[in-house]
Order: sequence, then structure tokens, then C-alpha cells
Amino acid sequence: MATADSISGVTAPSARRSAGLLVLLSSMPPEQLVEIIAKLTVSFAPEDLIIAGSDAFEADNYPALRIVPTAAINTSWMLTAADFVNAYQLAIKTGAQSILMLGPEANTLGASGLCDLAKAVLTGSTDLAVPRYDLPPHARLITSAILYPLVRALFASRVRFPMALDVGLSLRMAECLAGAGHRFNTLNQGDAFLWPVSEATVAGLTINQFGVGPRTLPHATGSDFNTIFPKITGSLFADIDAKAAFWQRFRQLQPAHSFAPMQPAISTNSIAEIAPLLQAFQLAYKNLQEIWQLILPPSSLLGLKRLSATDGAAFRMPERLWARIVFDFLLAHRLRTINRGHLLGALIPLYLAWVASHFNIIASGIDSESHIETVAAAFEADKTYLVSRWRWPDRFNP
Amino acid sequence: MQHVFAMMLQPDPYQSVPPLYADNATIWHHMSGALHQSLYRVVTLLIAFLPGIIAFIVALALSTLIGMAFSALLRRGLVAARFDDRFARNHGSVDWAPSGSLSELIARTAFWACILVGLIIGVSACDAAYATAATQSSSFLPYFTHIIGAVLLLVAGTLIARFLARSVLIGAVNEQLQYARFLSLGVKWLVLVLTAAMVLDHLHIGGNVVELAFGILFGGIVLTLALAIGLGSRDLVSRSLESHAERTSERSVTVQANQATTSADPILHI
Repeated sequence: MATADSISGVTAPSARRSAGLLVLLSSMPPEQLVEIIAKLTVSFAPEDLIIAGSDAFEADNYPALRIVPTAAINTSWMLTAADFVNAYQLAIKTGAQSILMLGPEANTLGASGLCDLAKAVLTGSTDLAVPRYDLPPHARLITSAILYPLVRALFASRVRFPMALDVGLSLRMAECLAGAGHRFNTLNQGDAFLWPVSEATVAGLTINQFGVGPRTLPHATGSDFNTIFPKITGSLFADIDAKAAFWQRFRQLQPAHSFAPMQPAISTNSIAEIAPLLQAFQLAYKNLQEIWQLILPPSSLLGLKRLSATDGAAFRMPERLWARIVFDFLLAHRLRTINRGHLLGALIPLYLAWVASHFNIIASGIDSESHIETVAAAFEADKTYLVSRWRWPDRFNP
Repeated sequence: MQHVFAMMLQPDPYQSVPPLYADNATIWHHMSGALHQSLYRVVTLLIAFLPGIIAFIVALALSTLIGMAFSALLRRGLVAARFDDRFARNHGSVDWAPSGSLSELIARTAFWACILVGLIIGVSACDAAYATAATQSSSFLPYFTHIIGAVLLLVAGTLIARFLARSVLIGAVNEQLQYARFLSLGVKWLVLVLTAAMVLDHLHIGGNVVELAFGILFGGIVLTLALAIGLGSRDLVSRSLESHAERTSERSVTVQANQATTSADPILHI
């Protein structure tokens, strides 16, 4: 884990001079670092850059660069509260005007994408610069199914990857995130996730996303899907709960920007993977009904019953049903209807059912992104249901 | 055998011979005397015990009133001090936090604590009155505390059983084990049986019989689970393990495939 006091040994002689961009890197092999530096120095003068977080970097090869041999950022697959706190403290100590945080495998990002992120925060036009990755349809599915639709519906933001690995931050955005992260740090929860998009929206800061092209995603190591899923969704649900006063008011959705189309639809190889997803859902339908009954209204349970009767290529989860399911789980999380660990565990089979349905839909020729946009639109349309039940949870709900 | 019967039928020469007739008036006299004495004892006991009961009711009523006042005062004080907001700011969203307002929870806890104190005072007064009135020095306060302890044990055991049963059920379903419900029920009944045995033991009911019965029942459930999983569901378990192993190997293949960017499209949830 990165620490705040590990930056005392600034190697460059001009350490006290103010520089523009602090590039905070995660732990990665030296060859990847070299690649990133090469891409950044195409657009920025070396004296404008402060490179931090690389303990395996040979500073002698880059005499013009300021290297801060601090510990790498902690992230393996998502930026944590401790990362943001350390980034801000480092920026203050080095006098940087803006920060670019890059996750593992960031060397696979295009040079133009990297520079767009950096320039946006360096010029001061944007407080939070987030990338829009060009990923295949079978990647980052939790984001597509839950994170993006929820953030879009509640915070009126079109940021496609709210759980970004790479972000550009202005100093005030970094301060805002560090303030939020500090609360977790004081509770010894430095590994808690922060949601920069919602923080920026609530603070009234400007957000922009930039098409950065394809990126290789790091693999989440150390824990399996059944552990990671509740962690991510639980973190977002808690963040939404904390910002309830903000998102209950109506907000106009940001206008859509056109981006290059993402990678082509799923290949037939992936269709074979639908069967285990459906089996998981069918097994859960047989066993978890008594738990779902505590969370979901009868109309959703009826929808799930119909869904359990379909199989194979005909398996489709209606977008409205999925939106209702997520909203009802969010409400149950807030009301603590059942233990939160149990609650989020009971959501896993339903999410797998959505994934199976999503694969079926894109296998039928519908573009993956357009389906995700339809899902997000269903979340937006049903926001009134969430707001109503959030305010009056005991009201009759058929 | 005949000899034994003959011995039994012979009159005992040393035993005094009872009178062959009874005086009805004497019997009734003895009976009414016994009844009068018994009635006198009970009434005396009740008269002696009555102040205790009144003391119990008064203590409970007073403690309820004090509890209500204290709770209201506490609630107002916490609201005025913005305790909930400060707690949320300092501690964020923690799993153990109550679903409602924290100050409300504290106020309610204070109220019920007052009631409990009143209950203890009342029972103690009752106990003192009973001990004074009763000829033998017995006390029901210790047993009353045992009953409270047993009720708490029962509630805690039931909650733990339900929690563990749900944990096992959800975990097993997400691991795609076909016998998830069976496992969950097994765990639930194990905890419930353990709780029942603890409650009975706490109440000193049954003695060794309960321990023995618990041992047999607990062992029986464990053995049943072991047999069912080991023998009855052998094929099921082997299939589950095989599919689990396949999934694990698929995951490792997925990592390699992701790195090598092969033609296969693994599902990347994160």
C-alpha cells in the first residue's frame, strides 16, 4: 500500500520547482514504464512531468524527468481511498497542478488517449477526466449491468466506466477525493473504493470522458468473483445511500458525445459460456426464492418465474425487470432488510442471468453498446420508482 | 415360591394390631384440621407475599416512567447535538450500523435498560418477601435469572441458526452446489439442536438425559450429513467437484487467454 510519507527522497535536483502534471503509476514492470514515459513525452516536455509510484524505474536514463521514488499506487483493478489520499498529498508536496493516475497495464493505452486525459486536467478545462475504453462486449460486465446504468440514472452522468483504472484529476478534484478518502483512512478502510464520478457530480466539478481506445484489463487477483462482486456493488450502494439527498432531485442528463464504435460483437465461442450462467440462475431460482421474496415485489418475482421457464437462446431478461431488481436490492441495502452480505450474495445469480441475456441479445445481432444504452435508459425511466420507495418504503408495492 | 407366599401371608407377631373400626367423627375432625392448617399457611404466605407483589408492580411502573423520561431526554439531547450526522461523518457507512437512527437506538436502549433495572428490583423485593414468608429458605430469583438467560440463549441461537443457514445457502448456490438447501438445513438444525440442549441445561431440566439425547442427536445429524454427502451424493459431489475443477482451470485459462489475446472470449466481469 502506498504511504503518505514515502516521498522524502525526491531524486531530481529541481524538486521544489513547480511542475505541471504528476503521473502516479501503479506497480508495473520497467518495460511498461518506459513505454508510458515514451507516450507521455511525445506531448509533454519532460520538465512538466513528475513521475511517481515507480520503484523499478531507472532515473539515470531520464535526467530531465523528475522521478519521485514513492511506493506504487495500491490499485490492482480499482483505485482505492488510500490511492486518492496519497495522490493528493504527493501533488501538494511536489507542487503539481494536476494528477494523472494510471492503473496496471496502462501501457496498452494509446498515446493520444493518455495525452487527452492529461491535457484535459492540465489546461484546467476539466476537473475529472475519465477514459472511455474500447473493450470487447464480454469485458467489464458489472460496469455494463449495474455501475453505468445506476450512475447514469442517479447522477445524470454518461461516464461509461465509472470504475475507471486511469483518471486525470485537477487539484481541486484531487482535494475533494482526498477528503472523502481520508474518512475511510481514519477508519482503517484505506482499501475502500471511491466513486470519482459521483463525488465530482455532487461537488459540482466538471467531468469529461475521452475515448482512449482499447486497453488490456488487469486480472483481479487474490479473490474470486463471489467475493469481488459484493465488494463493488456494496461500495456503490453505500455511496448512493450517502448521497441520497443529491440524486433524489431531478437532473438533466449530460448530452451524449459520439465515440468511435467499440469492438465488434461477441463471437460464437462465448455463446457456449451462457449455459453455466443459466444453470447458476436456475439453481438459485430453486433455492433462493425465500430470500428474494424478502427483497423483491411480487411483480419482479413473477418476472423471474417466467424467466426460469425459458432456456437457451430464448432467454431474455427484460430491461425494466433488471432495473427493478437492482433498485429493489439497492432499497433493501438501505433498509437492511437482510444482512448486507447475504443481500449482495443473492444478487449474484440474477446478475449472471442478466449476463446470459445480454450475450443472447448481442448474439442475435444487436450491438452490445446499444443494448447497454437501452438498459441504462430503463434505469432512468424507472428512477421515479426508486425515489418513491426510498422516501416511502412501507407504501404498498405490488 | 409357595414358601415365600406363605411367609408373606403370616401375620407379623411384633407388629401392633390396628383398630378394626374407625370413628367417622375423628376422621373428619383430623381432615378438617389438616385443611384448616393448610389454608392458614397458604393465606399467611399470600399475605406476607402481597407486599412483595405490590413492590414489584410499583418498581416496574416507576422504572417505566423513569425510563420514558430518561429516553425522551436522551433523544432530545442527541438530536440537539446532531449525533447522527456526526457519527455518519466520522464513521461513514459501517456494516454494523443500525438501519434506523442511531440516537433513536440509544434512547430505546436506555428505556429498556431502565425497565430491566425495575424488573430486577421488583423481583428482588418479591424474592425477599417470599423468603421471609416461606418456612424453608428457598429463593426463586436465581431460577428467574436462569429463565432470562435461557430465553436469551434461545433467541441468540435461533438468530445464529438463521444467519448461518442463509450464509451456507447463498454461498453454496453461488458455488453452484446442487445440495445447497440440504447443507443449509443441516447447519440450521445443528445449531438449533445445540441451542435447545444449552437452554435445557441452563434450566437444569433433564440433567444427563438431555446431554445424552443431545449427543445422540447431534452426532446423528453430523453422521447423516457425512453419509449423505459421502455415500448418497457421491456422484453428485464428484460432479460438483469436477465442474468446480473445470471452472478453476477455465479461469486460469481465461487469464492466459486474456494475456495472449487468443480467439476465445472469456467473460470478464470486472
